[in-house]
Amino acid sequence: MTISLTAFSVLVTVALAITTAAPVLLIALLIRDWKRKRLW
Amino acid sequence: MNAVNSAILDPDIGWAILAGFSVLWVFLGWYWGRSAGQLDEYVLAGRRVGLALGTATAMATWVTSNTTMAAPQLAFQIGIWGMLGYSLGSIGLLMFAPLATRIRRLMPNGYTSGDFVRIRYGHTAWRVFLAISLFYSLGWLVSMGMAGGILIHALTGIPYHYGMTVILGICVGYTLLGGFRAVIGTDFIQALLILVGLIVIAFLAIQHIGFARIHAAVLAERPELLNLLMPAAIMFLFNNLLFGIGEIFHSNVWWSRAFSFREGVGFKAYTLAGLLWAPIPVVAGFVALAVPALNLNVPAADMVGPMVTAKLLGATGAVVVLIMVFSALSSSLDSLLAATSILIVEDIYRRHLKPHASAEEMRRAAAWIIVGLGVLTWILCAPRLTTLAELLYFTGAFVASTIWPIAAGLFWQRTNAAAAVAGMVLGSAAGLYSYFAIGFYVAALVGAAVSMTCVVLGTWLAPREFDWNLLREEHPLHKGVLP
Repeated sequence: MTISLTAFSVLVTVALAITTAAPVLLIALLIRDWKRKRLW
Repeated sequence: MNAVNSAILDPDIGWAILAGFSVLWVFLGWYWGRSAGQLDEYVLAGRRVGLALGTATAMATWVTSNTTMAAPQLAFQIGIWGMLGYSLGSIGLLMFAPLATRIRRLMPNGYTSGDFVRIRYGHTAWRVFLAISLFYSLGWLVSMGMAGGILIHALTGIPYHYGMTVILGICVGYTLLGGFRAVIGTDFIQALLILVGLIVIAFLAIQHIGFARIHAAVLAERPELLNLLMPAAIMFLFNNLLFGIGEIFHSNVWWSRAFSFREGVGFKAYTLAGLLWAPIPVVAGFVALAVPALNLNVPAADMVGPMVTAKLLGATGAVVVLIMVFSALSSSLDSLLAATSILIVEDIYRRHLKPHASAEEMRRAAAWIIVGLGVLTWILCAPRLTTLAELLYFTGAFVASTIWPIAAGLFWQRTNAAAAVAGMVLGSAAGLYSYFAIGFYVAALVGAAVSMTCVVLGTWLAPREFDWNLLREEHPLHKGVLP
């Protein structure tokens, strides 16, 4: 059973979308923690 | 063709990148270490780490050089299931999330995973656990040190011993200067570098080649890589899953983070880290599947990621890969040095050798042990024995046998201590036997299954009451004298 082009594209696109969101989310959380003085 | 001739990057550029990042990490280690004079500040960053740094450190530590290099290799060798199987490593992080909350609540003064096993199961279990944990830590340290030398050599042509010495020396240097604060702070930057590098490479692969061409080329030349029913790959998937859970559940690398996180942060940080980590092997693996479309001749499967990147981006691509690999190696090595150091200080130095050691003596011992671990790792990495690089895979049986003793000990009040010891010993032995008799891909599976049988059966036949309050044991250093 071979993975179709559509399923393959969706799998990689979703993974890439989450990976792209990760640094944005981490920086947003860092700014939030820093403002609340809860960095460490 | 030797590696210097086939290296993707000029050695001078390689040295310049290594020097630049080394100066940055050591400076940051010194800067963040200025306020880490006291023991808790040095080994647990003051137990006040917030969500952003907590998430990034869990994520960056779990992104080892294996994730950035072996995930493409696995995709190239076993296809779609290689990518998906590797991404199941995130299950360990996700499953540790509730454990982190429980650990922080039950042991507000705890330092190590050894502390838990000693109080929960007694001294025999503790010593068996320490042997497993230290063996695993050494295996991980050696595999990272050797990977550093080999990858830097393959990417830049810099001799193996120089590259290995630089990566070990830098990690020891900034961990020594800044302690756990330096580890967590640099992990944040390293996580961003790894993610941005991966995103750039993946977008370029899509833009330059496209999904349709990659899919069609793989289907024409290596159709088995797109096969969803590949038995060996499915077996790998389950073994990798259990290996990952065992690594995270027992290792002080993850426990020390649970102790260092601010109250209420552990669950969110590990959950978020797991969710953000899961797609990384898929994206890294996808890059490798571009090989047929690019008509690349790959001489060694473990170099597939850098080769595709260099083809797409030229020398710039090689620079991106070197920075990613250096970041991935550093973020794991520093964490391992810091967590193993406090495990040795608390569980061996203080509990076995010097029971009345002061906080200052323990702080000093932690620093010396970081240096000692660096030197020991260098000595073991120097002969470049491939059998030593495989040591980490060998530990699969051992770490998987700790899953049930740890989880049942944290959540079941009646877990039998003798059953936990039997689980670790018999699970390790059975896993080891299956490693040699069947193959590496079943060692963790068998180790976990035997250990589960021992713990569940032993507890069912002879349940033992445990007082959770014992885990709130006050550390002598917290009794109002020293922090």
